[in-house]
Amino acid sequence: MKRLISFELRKLLERPTAWVGLLLVLLFSQGIAFSGYHNQYAVDPMTGSEGSGGASVAIDKTVAARYEGILTDEKVRLMVEELVPKSRPGGINAIYIYQNATQSAAARHFYDIEGNWNGKTVSDVFGEERIKIGYTGGWMATSSNLIQVFMVLSFVVMLAVSPVFSGEYGGVDNIILTARYGRSKCAAAKLTASLLLAAGAFLLVAGTSLLAAFLYYGKEGLDCSILFTSMDSAERFIPFNLTVGEMLCYQMLLGFTGILSAAGFALLFSSVCRNQLAAFAVCAGLYVLPILLPVPETSFLFRVVALLPLYHIQFVSLMAVEQMESGLLYAVWAVPAAAAFVLVGSVGSYRVFTKHQVF
Amino acid sequence: MAMELKTIGLTKRYGAKTAVKDMNLTLRSGVYGLLGANGAGKTTLMRLLCTLQNPTAGEIQLNGQNIRGLGGDYWKLLGYLPQNFGYYPQFSAWDFLLYVSALKGLDNNAARKKSAELLEAVGLMKEAHRRIKTFSGGMKQRLGIAQAMLGDPHILVLDEPTAGLDPKERVRFRNLISMFSKDRIVLLSTHIVSDVESVAERIILMKAGQLLQFGGPMEITSEIEGQVWEYTVPASQAEESSARLSISSLRQENGHTVLRVIGPSPSPEAIAVPPSLEDLYLYYFKGVEDQ
Repeated sequence: MKRLISFELRKLLERPTAWVGLLLVLLFSQGIAFSGYHNQYAVDPMTGSEGSGGASVAIDKTVAARYEGILTDEKVRLMVEELVPKSRPGGINAIYIYQNATQSAAARHFYDIEGNWNGKTVSDVFGEERIKIGYTGGWMATSSNLIQVFMVLSFVVMLAVSPVFSGEYGGVDNIILTARYGRSKCAAAKLTASLLLAAGAFLLVAGTSLLAAFLYYGKEGLDCSILFTSMDSAERFIPFNLTVGEMLCYQMLLGFTGILSAAGFALLFSSVCRNQLAAFAVCAGLYVLPILLPVPETSFLFRVVALLPLYHIQFVSLMAVEQMESGLLYAVWAVPAAAAFVLVGSVGSYRVFTKHQVF
Repeated sequence: MAMELKTIGLTKRYGAKTAVKDMNLTLRSGVYGLLGANGAGKTTLMRLLCTLQNPTAGEIQLNGQNIRGLGGDYWKLLGYLPQNFGYYPQFSAWDFLLYVSALKGLDNNAARKKSAELLEAVGLMKEAHRRIKTFSGGMKQRLGIAQAMLGDPHILVLDEPTAGLDPKERVRFRNLISMFSKDRIVLLSTHIVSDVESVAERIILMKAGQLLQFGGPMEITSEIEGQVWEYTVPASQAEESSARLSISSLRQENGHTVLRVIGPSPSPEAIAVPPSLEDLYLYYFKGVEDQ
């Protein structure tokens, strides 16, 4: 069985669509991280220093360090006083003026349109939650980048897995299906290799992305709350007091379930379609279909739609669904949902391939 | 191990078309040549024997048991070369044989030993580590033959194994099959009658999905005894005679043309000759290939 799995893995990885695709995702993930790091811009209104790239990160960290710790009304008062924008070009709403990550986070909750304190206290905004604040900009940017990276990766995984069965219909199925283990161990090896490829690609891409983020930003901010983060982070829509580290763990889990679910999709259509491009086109089409469905996030139906693989990858919408009665985040349903997708994809493709007739 | 592979009322229909019709055959060890024109049902019969298609009616039994119920116990006895041999272009011949060995359940050492033996036997040892996509058609076909013989199958089904082989390779193939066939069932189909004639102990002649003849070459050619003639005509009349008669072959001799005619005696001067398998094929299939 091990030999068959290694052969199947080799068959998948020797296809240019697979290895070129994986290489491109790695380059994209590193490119987007590098670009995000170098294109940052920050100003410290108290010292007047400004800069981009590494200097911007240093400024953001310096500013955040002044207010680090549990968010209090006193810290809010100081932030509004010290970080308020000095000008509003064109009369733009002050919350959209970005000077640095801390100012943007403060503006989001405590500024009015003019940049003055909006009169809200910490408890008005966050209730009884203890909000730990600090430098979160780097890891929040990394999280946003990872959504795009995992999205691209999911398509590459579907493309790589698409030929696992459909590629055999060109004639090798004759040999496989008449061999002693063709309909048992070989089919199982194909499934195992596909899922290993998907899992391995995810671990490689996620691991290198997180390593790059660690090298760029260090470990600061992983214990801070996601509720006090800058305006430009998509994760601001997640309404729970998670730390940045916890949020990243959820994102990794959901990214993993999303990639495995996408592989499950691809396995099924690979066995049904006689051509790998057709298999990829059908499964990619179905994969993106949920975002075209007119289901508002307030609808109960959204809870079902949000369990489809695309939303695992996008993760913010799924993480924003209200908590279950047990106190667990609804997002944990992604795990059994992914198990179901993988099971249906594996069992379905196994049956279709081993029972098909060769004409 | 004495084996008996039997088809009982075997029928395969695709919609309104019947590819194999009520086929009753019993195969024991030996080499069987399957002859028939294009569309006669040879490939369908082979695919049914290899469980690649399900029969519409009837069944195939191995030693009295329906092969569909035998699963792995049947497949472990089977070696198959399909008509359109599929392969992985990036694999070398060596890797491909190791892969098929794994499919057939050979352990690593046995796989390496057997693959080397077979590559030697089909004359590909020097090319073992070349990628298959760089192989010529004949080389691919030889690799296909080698993979079918991996695991020493007791039932070897070869669909058009000599297609693309040059005369020297065909002779090598015939010798290989002759040596291999002891205590085994080997079924091979081909359009090249001479390949079957020289290697097959029994011939299965199919036409329009039905069994036309089944027996030894001498036995089935005797069916057209008295229907094959040699007829010498002046060279100037050869064309006119060829158009009028069913000609198996013609040759030039002393300024005259000697025609080999199949059918009723073309002239009182014609001499009856013993029929060959090729004559038999033409007798049954004259005109069928052109349809």
